[in-house]
Amino acid sequence: MFDNPKIRINELSVEYDDGTQALSDVCLDIPKNAITALFGPAGGGKSTLLRTLNRLNDLLDVSISGEVILDDINIFDRNVDVISLRRRVGIVFAQPIPLPFSIRKNITYGLELAGERRRAKLDDAVEGSLRSSALWDEVKDRLNDSATALSGGQQQRLCIARVLALAPEVLLLDEPTSGLDPISTAKVESSLQILKQDYTVVIAPSSIQQTARIADLAVFMLQGELVEWGRGKDLFSAPREKQTEEYITGRFG
Amino acid sequence: MIRLSRHHTERIAFSVIGLAAVATAVPIIVIVGSIFFSGAEAVSWQFLLEMPRDGMRSGGIWPAIIGTVYLVVGTGLISIPLGIASAIYLSEYATDSYWTRMIRLAIVNLAGIPSVVYGLFGLGLFVLFLDLGSSIVAACLTLSIMTIPVIISTAEEALRSVPQSFRVVSVGMGATRWQTIRRVVLPQALPGILTGVILGLNRAAGETAPILFTGAAFFLPKLPNSIFDQTMALPYHLFVISTQVPEMPITIQYGTATVLITFVLTMNILAASVRSWQRRKREW
Repeated sequence: MFDNPKIRINELSVEYDDGTQALSDVCLDIPKNAITALFGPAGGGKSTLLRTLNRLNDLLDVSISGEVILDDINIFDRNVDVISLRRRVGIVFAQPIPLPFSIRKNITYGLELAGERRRAKLDDAVEGSLRSSALWDEVKDRLNDSATALSGGQQQRLCIARVLALAPEVLLLDEPTSGLDPISTAKVESSLQILKQDYTVVIAPSSIQQTARIADLAVFMLQGELVEWGRGKDLFSAPREKQTEEYITGRFG
Repeated sequence: MIRLSRHHTERIAFSVIGLAAVATAVPIIVIVGSIFFSGAEAVSWQFLLEMPRDGMRSGGIWPAIIGTVYLVVGTGLISIPLGIASAIYLSEYATDSYWTRMIRLAIVNLAGIPSVVYGLFGLGLFVLFLDLGSSIVAACLTLSIMTIPVIISTAEEALRSVPQSFRVVSVGMGATRWQTIRRVVLPQALPGILTGVILGLNRAAGETAPILFTGAAFFLPKLPNSIFDQTMALPYHLFVISTQVPEMPITIQYGTATVLITFVLTMNILAASVRSWQRRKREW
C-alpha cells in the first residue's frame, strides 16, 4: 500500500503491571512522509502504541514483547540509546503542557539538553520551529514571556514547536487538538499537512471526523488490537470489517 | 429542649471558631509584646557588640550572638545538602519498598523525639565516641540530626507537588532523569525547599537542650578560634543568666530574650515571605 515504511511494528504486545493487556500482537508498517492516524474508542491502545514508539512507557512498569524497527534498528535492543531515540521520535501530548519557562526557553530546552550553546543556532531553531507550527506571528514579539500565559491553542502549537526544534524524524501526536477550539484545530491540522513533507507523522486524532480529514493511512484499533487499516479515503468509504463500519457510522464508541 | 434555627447555629459556630483563633494568637502576642516592651531598653549597639563583663551582669552578648550564627551556619552546611539529597532520592528515585518505608518511618519518628534526647545522643556519639569533645562541630552535628528530618519532609513535599506531567514532558524531549530534576523539578520546588530549610535552621537556632552537652559554654572570655572550640549561644546564654547567675539585672535577661526572639522571628517571616512569593510565582 505504502512502499516506504519508516517504522515496522512486528507482533507488539504490551501489558501493564496491573495485568491490563494494552496491545496484543500489533503488526503495522508506518509509512514515511505521511500521516498515520490511529483511531477507535477509548481504551483501544492508541496512547500506549504512541508511547511505546519512543519508549516513554519505560517510565511505567510494563512488559513488552515484539519488535519496533525504526529504519534498521529494533528500538528495544539493549544497546539502543533511549535518549537519542526520543530525540528522533518526538511526542506531543493531549494536554498542552508547556514547561514553566519562557516561550523561548521551552523551545531551546531540548537543544540545550543536548549541549547546544550557540545563540545563533538556538535563535534559528526558535524561529524555524515556531513558523512550522504556525505560531511565530503570534508570539514573535514576546518570546521571553511565560509560556503558561498563552491560550490553550497557542500552548499546543508551542508544544509541537518544541518537539520540531529537536529535528525529529518521527512526530507522535496523542489527541493534539482535544482541548482546542475549531480555529486552533484547523491551524494545527493545516500545519500537519505541511509537516508531513519532512516528517513521519503518527497521530491519535481527537475525533473520527478529524481522522477522515487528515489520515493518509487510517488504522482502526479496538481493545488493543488492530482491526483494519487502509488508505484514509478507502477505509472511510468502504470499510471491510463490520466493527469498523459500526464505529465510523456512530453505532458504538 | 430549645431548637435553634440554622441561622443561630451558624452564628454560634462562627463565634466559637473565631474565639479559638483569637485564643491561639493572644499568648504569642502577649509573650512577644511583653518581652519586647521590657527588653527594648536594654538593646543597644553596645549590648549587641560587646563582650559580657562583671560575671555577665553587665556588658553585651556578642559572643552568644556570634556563637548562634556559627551554629546555624555549621548546621546548615551539614543538614542542607544531606536533607535535600535525601528528599530528591525519596521523591524522584526511590520505589516504594520495605526500605524506603523504613526510612520514611525513621524520619517521622525523628521529628517527634524530645530535643534533650538529641543532646544526649550527640554527647554519646560525637563528643565521647568520636572524641570531638564539647565543640562547635559536635553541636552542629547534633543539631543537624534534629533539622535534617524537617528539611527532608518539607523538601520531599515540595518536590512531589511539582506536576508529574513536567517530568514526562522533559523526559519525552530527551532529558535524562537527572537533567529533568536539575532543570525542571528543582527550580520549581526551590521556594518550598527553602521554606523547610529556614524552618529547620530556625529550630536549630532556638534550641538549648541539643547543644547543652555538645558544645555550648557557660561563659567564655573570648570568641571561639576553631570549630573544635566550645562556643556561647543565645538560647543557652539566656538559660544561664535567667537561672544560674545570682543578682542578674532583669533588663539584660529581657534584652537577651528580645534578641533571640527577633532572630527567630526574622527567620520565620523570611520563610513566610518565601512561601507567598512562591505561590505568586507558580505558573500551574
